[in-house]
Amino acid sequence: MNPTYLPKSWLAQQVNRFAPALFFIGLVLLWELVCSVGEVPNYILPSPSAIFSAFFDVEMSRWLTHLWATLRVALMGFALSIAIAIPLSIGMMRSELMNRVLYPALIVIQSTPVVAVAPLIIVLLGTDDPSRVLITCLITFFPLVVSTTTGMLETPPEMIELSQSLRAPRYRETWQIRIPYAIPHIFSGLRVSITLAIIGAVVAEFVAAEEGLGYFIQFSTSFFKIPQAFAGLIFLSIISLLMFKSIQWIQMWLFPWSLPKKK
Amino acid sequence: MKNNHIDNDNAEQNHAAYVSMKGVGHKFDPRPDAPMVVENIDLDIHRHEFVAVVGPSGCGKSTLLRMVAGLLIPSNGQVSVFNRPVTEPRDDVGIVFQKANLLPWLTVRKNVLFPLKHKYGRYSANDEKRANELLDMAGLTQFADKMPDELSGGMQQRVGIVRALLLNPDILLMDEPFSALDALTREQIGFDLLDIWKEHPKTVLFITHSITEAVLLSDRILVMSKRPGSVLDLIDVDLPRPRSSETIKSTRFAELTDTIRGYIYEPHVPA
Repeated sequence: MNPTYLPKSWLAQQVNRFAPALFFIGLVLLWELVCSVGEVPNYILPSPSAIFSAFFDVEMSRWLTHLWATLRVALMGFALSIAIAIPLSIGMMRSELMNRVLYPALIVIQSTPVVAVAPLIIVLLGTDDPSRVLITCLITFFPLVVSTTTGMLETPPEMIELSQSLRAPRYRETWQIRIPYAIPHIFSGLRVSITLAIIGAVVAEFVAAEEGLGYFIQFSTSFFKIPQAFAGLIFLSIISLLMFKSIQWIQMWLFPWSLPKKK
Repeated sequence: MKNNHIDNDNAEQNHAAYVSMKGVGHKFDPRPDAPMVVENIDLDIHRHEFVAVVGPSGCGKSTLLRMVAGLLIPSNGQVSVFNRPVTEPRDDVGIVFQKANLLPWLTVRKNVLFPLKHKYGRYSANDEKRANELLDMAGLTQFADKMPDELSGGMQQRVGIVRALLLNPDILLMDEPFSALDALTREQIGFDLLDIWKEHPKTVLFITHSITEAVLLSDRILVMSKRPGSVLDLIDVDLPRPRSSETIKSTRFAELTDTIRGYIYEPHVPA
């Protein structure tokens, strides 16, 4: 007999429903326990409660300043990367020559560790936003180019034949068929890119910055304020998660047809 | 400018070859020793005639359709429509694809209007009215604002047919349009197609791998050999119209399907 058909008790249903949250809470409790029983000093591994109180030791306005600095760079880099990646993908899809010329260059850029290039970019462009935005852009645009190009090239041949049978101009084939077809692909690229954008902004702040969550974590660590650094890290993860979710919400709101069908 | 609306009642034109294939052959690989996909097809289709093409899988039926559509230019011979060689897709041709081929991001109505939107970049209120009339004819009015994936396969293919009719083509090319549907839906949509065809006469080239479907729907059947596809026979379907499920029970229907089956299935070779 298949066990899934057995009626489950109310408690079992609730446990099943909240399993991800329970797992997370369990993990935090375990962490707290290890810290207090093992008497681990806060400057090695702070306990969750120490991190929690460190969070309130920092003024809210300071948090918001750092948060905004990171978010600003991440979003500008992300926007720049969309502005570059989509036209570039269209060009590479339309022109075989452009694809042959640019693809190796993109691979080279992608396989060069951005962390290693970041200091050079700072030297080149200075210590202000432009260099941080460029670093973020470099780390985010490759997945976007790949997903957009793949989506457009995967357009079913019959849809292209429909366009050809109407002798429609090619820009309409791109705009009315290939790009809409690529929307689900583009959004999976955007989901990957937005989390990379946060990473890019933090990397840039590690190299040169006077504000931002990445800067705050580095600064706190160098003064051995480890609980405070952890609080910053958790803030960063929450932002990253929210950005990821926002992309999903935008997709749900603007392109509901592009979501996978629920069974 | 091509004339899409030639006088309907000109008997002479109706009986002249409207779509004509002469020595048509094609291969996808241009090298001289490359194998042919279709070979030596001669076929004259009269105006408003319903011609079905049957043949084993891979015999180049769809290739033939694409050459009539002007999507492919034959390597040998020539396809002409009304004495003009086909060198590019024509305005007076509508294509119904296998599996509906609807755009999932557009509503049913917008899918039907897509040919205008795609060709000219816009459509008028009048065009929208025409789309609504066509949807009504196909019994799709209540689905006009739904997305394609909310419709059954049969409904989707009705939308595909309606879309092909939007520009009021004189020639309707259908590439195994019902092959993805279940048997019951398939028979019903076939009869519906005949109703539409009776009301809006078109020259139809209907590709199928269903022998019964070909006999049930068409005036003539081109039977193709396996690859390289060539003409095995051209069969007159002398069954009275209108056709119905009664037609299927007639002895003549059985004779015709048997004849075609004889061509398609090779004689059994004992092991």
